[in-house]
Amino acid sequence: MRNVLVCGIVLALLGVSAAAQAGAPTIVKIGVIEPLSGNAAAAGQATKAAIEVAADIINQGYPEIARIPLGNTHGLPNLGGAKVQVIFADHQGNPSVGQSETLRLITQEKVVALQGAYHSSVTVPATAVAERYGIPWMVGDSSSLVINARGFKWIFRSTPIGSNYAEAYLGFLTDLSKSSTKVKTFAIVNENTEYGTSVGGEIRDVLVKGGFSLAVQVPYNANSTDLSAEVLQLKQKDPDVAIFVSYTSDALLFTKTFKALDYSPRMVIGDDTGFSDPSYIQNVGDIAQGVVNRTAWDIGKPGSATYRINELYKAKTGVNLDDTSGRNMQGFFALMEAINRAGSTQPEAIRKALAETNLSPNQLMMGYRGIRYDATGMNSLASTYVNQLVGKEYVTIWPESAAHGSLTWPFKGWR
Amino acid sequence: MRRGWLALGVVLLAGPLAFQDPFYERMIALVLLWAVLASAWNIVGGYAGQVAIGHAVFFGVGAYLPLLVYTHWQGVPLLGIPVGIAISVGIAVLIGVPTFRLHGHYLSMATIAVAELIRLLVTNWEFVGAARGLGGPTSGRTIWDLSYRSSIPYYYIFLALFALVLGFTYWMEQSRMGYYLRAIKAGQRAARSLGVSAPRYKLYAMIASAAFTSLAGSLYAVMLGFVDPDSVFGIMVSVQMVIMAALGGAGTLIGPLVGAALLIPLQTFANSLFGGQGNGLTFILYGGIIILLSRFEPGGILEIWNHYLARKARKGRTE
Amino acid sequence: MIALQVVVGGLLLGAVYALFSSGLTLIWGMMNVVNFAHGDFVMLGMYIAYLAVVALHAGPLVFTLLAALTLSIVGAAVYYLLIRQVMRGPMLAQILSTFGLALLVRYTVFWFFSATFVTLPGSALGGSIKLGGILIGIPQLVAGILAMGLTIGMHLLLTRTTLGSQILAVSEDRQAAMLMGIRPDRMQALAWGLASASAGVAGALIATFYYLTPTVGESLVLIAFVVVCFGGFGSVPGAMLAGLIIGLIQAASAYYIGPVYKDVVVFALFVAILWVRPQGLLGTV
Repeated sequence: MRNVLVCGIVLALLGVSAAAQAGAPTIVKIGVIEPLSGNAAAAGQATKAAIEVAADIINQGYPEIARIPLGNTHGLPNLGGAKVQVIFADHQGNPSVGQSETLRLITQEKVVALQGAYHSSVTVPATAVAERYGIPWMVGDSSSLVINARGFKWIFRSTPIGSNYAEAYLGFLTDLSKSSTKVKTFAIVNENTEYGTSVGGEIRDVLVKGGFSLAVQVPYNANSTDLSAEVLQLKQKDPDVAIFVSYTSDALLFTKTFKALDYSPRMVIGDDTGFSDPSYIQNVGDIAQGVVNRTAWDIGKPGSATYRINELYKAKTGVNLDDTSGRNMQGFFALMEAINRAGSTQPEAIRKALAETNLSPNQLMMGYRGIRYDATGMNSLASTYVNQLVGKEYVTIWPESAAHGSLTWPFKGWR
Repeated sequence: MRRGWLALGVVLLAGPLAFQDPFYERMIALVLLWAVLASAWNIVGGYAGQVAIGHAVFFGVGAYLPLLVYTHWQGVPLLGIPVGIAISVGIAVLIGVPTFRLHGHYLSMATIAVAELIRLLVTNWEFVGAARGLGGPTSGRTIWDLSYRSSIPYYYIFLALFALVLGFTYWMEQSRMGYYLRAIKAGQRAARSLGVSAPRYKLYAMIASAAFTSLAGSLYAVMLGFVDPDSVFGIMVSVQMVIMAALGGAGTLIGPLVGAALLIPLQTFANSLFGGQGNGLTFILYGGIIILLSRFEPGGILEIWNHYLARKARKGRTE
Repeated sequence: MIALQVVVGGLLLGAVYALFSSGLTLIWGMMNVVNFAHGDFVMLGMYIAYLAVVALHAGPLVFTLLAALTLSIVGAAVYYLLIRQVMRGPMLAQILSTFGLALLVRYTVFWFFSATFVTLPGSALGGSIKLGGILIGIPQLVAGILAMGLTIGMHLLLTRTTLGSQILAVSEDRQAAMLMGIRPDRMQALAWGLASASAGVAGALIATFYYLTPTVGESLVLIAFVVVCFGGFGSVPGAMLAGLIIGLIQAASAYYIGPVYKDVVVFALFVAILWVRPQGLLGTV
């Protein structure tokens, strides 16, 4: 009789512990590869901070962010409340290191999905490794067309790319021409590595097809010690609009050179990146008043989800969220939403869920028209706003549906 | 001595079996690749004493050719290898003939400048992909594409290449050319008094060095499936080749292998452990090690090993 | 008019190149040591200027002096701790040692400041003036004039003072100098201090119109090499002349050929000089 009692107690204990085990939330590991050292380290570290904030939002939950999937769920509901853990790796801007770190994250850290990697030169070879191993990869920032042009099934890109930006500029400038401000000629000033050449080229082609005439294209070496020659070339051709595709260092130097040479085009458009970097506004904001930029990020009104997200980011880093880090944060949210919807950490299940993603604009933190991937993994609803620097903040000015302010013409700069 | 080589051979052949993990397999494949590169540099830098810091030129040319063949003509990347070697040798002759009249720092400067020049030209040349770089076949179309998921086949390919370079270096060491190069390294005037045409033998060393570097570059491109100007023509490629050979022991046969076997894992683990924090610790360590080495034991690890052996021998004799 | 603008811009920048290259050429000519960390010394000068402005609200004169002082100590320390031993070793070790130093300095600064770009908070040197129809940035003008002055000053120090002649004596013939009672060690340390100080001042001057980032030394050191080779090893007047010419050529090729080619032209010229006249303009073989 005593034996039966003992057996019963043991069985009961086993049963309870088994139940406890089954109910215990697990951890979902995501690998993020970014340039955390080298020339692009500032951008890499901003993205790291942004994704850390996103992971915190998913794990903790914040009521104001409830409209964004997983914004207020205290973990992943369809995975028993599992928490997300992000493992960061530095690729140093080196394609080989990018591949090695991808391999390590997949085979040693056993991440269920990956995100990265800013430099298209690293994203292209690193995603090839993920494709070979059948692990989903979210591209939140890189712009090269090659990434989704190889017939891969496991690579998804939520961010808008060069062609989206070009369309935005075309729309903006066309609307502008319909008003009293006459815009006929434009110039493209682009740094001559992957980013500048491809985005600059796409903008040029789209605008020329849209009826604007190219006054001059000025490719230049990134991280130059002096940009007077480039600005002087612009001065000579005197375009109505000059579009800059530059990283931070050059954006800073161009702005200073404008002031030094007392010349600026009637409109200066800075294509994100360098011009969105917080250190741009900090260092030269007061002499760059009126610079036009593109962004899919709008902080919004106090109490809104985007405002709260910005608060959290600002508390962590001391600066406002910038567009590039924001796009990465959005990619991360979209990735986790799919994993949650899949209800499983099996690669194929996640991939299928990603492919079936259909997020509407009010489920997003960025201003896309939605997130829906086409057959190649690109977000067919990616889009961007156009904004302008007023004081120390960028104010959205286009499209009209999203605008908070209207264009100040011409470019004031330091005057 | 023979047994030492046999043991080394066994270790190298069995290497991948010790690690059943793709990350480590890739790492040791890269160790061998860099051992090849450092050994190739060693021919002209260690044995002939010409400190050239521009070998990235040959590496880059070798790396670009296979992917050019694939991108423009959908050809088998391997076909680009002989073309790459030919172009690299051509460049070696073109730089070599004028610069080997110079000594010491002039040579280093000239080689750095030429490598940078070519990198800038490639960055602005549309035909070779300009700044965007070139991609390779995403999955093997035929066996000749050498496109593998695992790193193990690449490990053995690099091992074969390493054996080739090692064999050449050994042959050169024992031959008349090796004798002349040692004379040149000791002092060019002395060599000339021996009747040795210094520029000619330096050129031969450079040609051999360039050819092997180019070959390694081509195979690297096939493994990675992607090249761009900064990753294959950048100055850090040249510098790493020099550092690995020097760390192990420049002018010795297996010094480069020792250097690569130490530095590649060091770099990899330092980055995996600390890189995620993004504070540049990897490079601080790297810089520190290089300084300590050059300050205390410029002969490299092998020199330290020799000192240790000599001390043991002395102790043995007194007992 | 634009041509004149290009010329003036190039010359002013070239003057700054001349300043930090004169330090490099002194060391090179004197001890046959290539200092790969020279560009990073310039970078240190920039950051010291930045710290001085932010922490002490220092004016341009103060932060320039501070940069010069700090870097001279750094230079002398590097000599005593590293260069003195390495000089006796093989060429390979010499090259590696300063290269390792470059990495160490660069990434230690990176550790503290990370990669965010900073600029010197609005100093009294902002703005530009109009001279004869062309615009000259005041920071660039001041930097250029000061750089030129200091380079000439260094040349005079070396050739007209006892100390200077002692330094030059050691570079010409170490043994003979020792026989004359000159202590080579001390002179070489002094030379390192002087060269590093000039790099520091150049950095402080550049900081007034450029941006600061830990990796800026990488590109500066290559320009310094070109200037030194062009001007002739060991020749400060050579570095002065070469700096101005290189600055001019860079500006002209950037405007007339195309901005992406300005470095290509400089390097191509450099390679040509090495083949045709390796001793440079004013150097001795």
